[in-house]
This record gives sequence, structure tokens and C-alpha cells, in this order.
Amino acid sequence: MINLEVKIPDTPGSLIELIKPISQNGGNIYGILHFHDRKINNMIPVNINFELIEDIKEISMQNIKLELKEKNIQIENVSYGIERKGIIVLLTGHVFGTDILDTLQRLASKSIRVLELHAVFTEFEEVSNVKLKIEFSEGTTKNEIVNEIRMICDEKELFLITN
Amino acid sequence: MDIKICLIGMGVVGTSFLQLLYEKEEFFERKFDLKFNVNSIFEIDGALIKEDGIGLKELLNNKKDIKNLPNWKNGVTPIDLISKLKIDVCIETTPTNHKTGEPGLTHIIEALKNHIDVISSNKGPFYLEYEKIKNIAKENNCSLKYEATVASSVPTLGIRENLIGNEILSIKAILNGTNNYILSRMTAESVNFAFALSEAQEFGYAETDPTLDIEGYDAAGKLVIIANDLLDYSKSITDVKIEGISKITPQAIDLAKSEGYVIKHLAMAESNKLIVKPMLIDKSSPLNINGTLNVIELQTKYAGPIILIGRGAGGFEAASAIINDLVNIGIKKQTKS
Repeated sequence: MINLEVKIPDTPGSLIELIKPISQNGGNIYGILHFHDRKINNMIPVNINFELIEDIKEISMQNIKLELKEKNIQIENVSYGIERKGIIVLLTGHVFGTDILDTLQRLASKSIRVLELHAVFTEFEEVSNVKLKIEFSEGTTKNEIVNEIRMICDEKELFLITN
Repeated sequence: MDIKICLIGMGVVGTSFLQLLYEKEEFFERKFDLKFNVNSIFEIDGALIKEDGIGLKELLNNKKDIKNLPNWKNGVTPIDLISKLKIDVCIETTPTNHKTGEPGLTHIIEALKNHIDVISSNKGPFYLEYEKIKNIAKENNCSLKYEATVASSVPTLGIRENLIGNEILSIKAILNGTNNYILSRMTAESVNFAFALSEAQEFGYAETDPTLDIEGYDAAGKLVIIANDLLDYSKSITDVKIEGISKITPQAIDLAKSEGYVIKHLAMAESNKLIVKPMLIDKSSPLNINGTLNVIELQTKYAGPIILIGRGAGGFEAASAIINDLVNIGIKKQTKS
């Protein structure tokens, strides 16, 4: 999530001019806060929260900054919030027989949060299929998370499939 | 222009090649002024040799064993004769030995060393000794084509010539029709792996010993060839991280479905790494193809994804790729002369 702090004139149409470059660069706007009570010299502070397409995030942000500058919209600050990302993990094998609590605790110790767990048993004794919905924070890559899970799976001889 | 051809291996692919060549030989002569003349056909225990050209019509109509034909020479091998016969292009279609690449590897090297252009449908030599073969071809100024080794008739390697102004960044593909058939059946009917495999064997999609397919070795070999060719990697099959599909259960497939995913056996090349493993992919993904089809998704720098889909196995499918390579070599030879 990106938080953009700007100052815009208290005139009709100013907000549209602020939103246009963000939406035209693929921004998904989550919220806009006006601070009328902090108006100085007819300029109102505005905070706008949005997300950009991950693969082109940097270039989109550069474009937005450039286009706002061309419109004489003054940027006060840009901050990037902590973003939670998710993956789906399927485990097949003796998932319960190899201590699933230990598996979940070891994931938690690496800041990997399991949001949901579904289990289905096969016709073979003790062999189960478990689906985990996993959340992790920005700053960690999907590959790093999968590698952590893979280490546990290799040790416990569990078959791993991810998205 | 007259081009003399030696065919090594007259199995399904070799025979389909001869049939297709016979069907199209008039067209090639009229359209490209190329006259292809097969003067030798090698089998495991001898060869049919006729220096002025084997009549394809008579050969294909012949109901007798090839060994009973008048020009059959018992016991001779390509190594004995390849330097002695007048050959412009050698077509290698023998079965692959996945550990040694033989006998195809030796056939290809011997042909190149004798300044004979080579076309191969035999992938073993290329996923084991890609650099070596390429270097020998270069040293001897020979053309080397092997489109049929990967996804058969789907023009996978040839696409590079059409993407010169672009850049391929990564590859995701389904390269083994057997595995895709098994997973498609498990997904559609919730049958278990053993049942889907036996069905694939019954329909002739899987070998009696399916190990190379189901454990991912076949897809890995093809991935090596594609990545070396399209991404300029320099890999062999030992560089691929491989996981097969035999541990996938119908229950795991159902869990995937509940999230809008399907399980597919993907071959992936990115950042100089090669991986073959089952993955969850969105059910609306273009990689979600069913049955024995192959799919190759090329991620390009300037045009996003480019996707090729088609039949990745079969005699005529492979033969059509060989014929395409042959005509391209013929046109190149015309330009040189």
C-alpha cells in the first residue's frame, strides 16, 4: 500500500486532477482523506492510499510523480506500508503423523502466518492432503517463503505443491 | 538443387518422414527448386543403399520386410558408410538412450565431422551434450536442426527467428503429453494416479515403463533444449531440479480446485535456473490445457507473453518438423551455392 501526502488548492476539480495520474497508471485507490481543518493559504493537505501493479510499481510511481509535478501538485511525502501477500500450499504425506503443530510453529517462527487449514485423508492409512492459506509480509519474497516450507517438507518427507 | 539424404532409423518417425516427403516432393521441387533424394536408410542391423536414390513410392508400397529388398546390405552401420556415401543431410531418428544419448550422439557427431548437415528428432544427444554438438557443427560449418526434439510439430525453437527484435526473458511450459493426460483425467474424473496411468497406457499415450515421463525426466530434457536455444543457457539435464507427478492424489487436486487452481506439471526456465515440478496454476491460465497437448509460454521483454499450443508427439507431427528443418537447410544451401 502506498500513502501519498499532497497539498491541493481548495478549488473545484483539484481532487480529480490528483486522482487522474494515479488511476491512469493502474493505481487501485483505497481511500482519500481531506484535512480541511488544516487549510493554509487555500491549500488543503490530502492523503491518498492506493496500490500499484507489482511488476511495474516503480515505473508507475515515477510517472505519477512526474505527472503531479506537471500539474503543479505539491508532494509532501510518499510512504510504503507493510503489505501482506498470500500463497496456497498443498502438502501430501504423513502431515499429521509428522507433528503438524511443530510444522505450524516453525512457520510462525519465520513470520509465516497460516490463515486457513483444510485437511482431506486419502484411502491410504495416515496419508493426508492439507491445504494451507499462508500470508507473509512485504519485504519477504515468495521464493524465500517456499524455500522455508520446502526445508520442513524435505525433512518430514512431505510432497509440496504451491502456486 | 539436388539434396542427398541419409535417414538413420526407420521407426514411426522415420517412416512418417518418408511418407510426408513422398507426398510433398513435387511441391518442394516446384516451389523451391529442391529435389530431395534419399540414398540410404540405416536400421539397427543393416542399411538400404541406392546411390542414385531409393524410390519412395516403391519403398512405401512394399509389404515385405525392408531387409528383403535387393539393395539391402546386412550388418553395415552409419559409422562404416557415412564418410563413403555422398550425403548432404543426415536425418537421425533413432530412439533416445537417456543416459548416454547413443547411438544417436555418435551418428550426429560423425555426420558433422564429415561436413554433413544434421537434422535430429532424437533429444538425448542434445540434453546431454548440447555444447559439444553445437561446437562440432560450428567447427565444420554445418547446419544443425532439431525442432522435432521439442513439442514435435509446434514451432518452438524456430520462433526465435521471428522474435529477433524482441527478447525472451523466461519460459513456462507443459512439455510431456503423457503427464498432462494423467493430470487432466485426475482433475476431470477424480480418479487416482494409478488408474489414470493405466488408462494412458491402454490408449498408447504412456510407455509400458513410464518412469521417464512421470518422474519428469522427459520434460526436463526438452526444457534443457528450449532454454539453451531460446535463452542462450548452457545447461545439461543434470542442471534441472526435477519432481515428478506420481505422488499427486485426487484429494490434492480437489483441494486445489476449491481455490480456483489446477495442478499442472510445469517446466520452467528463468534467471538461469531450470525446474520441472507440479505447480498450482489458475484455472483460467492459458497453461491450463487438457489431454496430451503441449503448451509453451514465452515471456518476452517487449510483447508480454507469447503462447504456443499443439500436439507434442506423434509420427507425422515429428515428421512435419523434420521436413520444415530440411526445407530450411535446402534453401540455405541454395543461397550459398
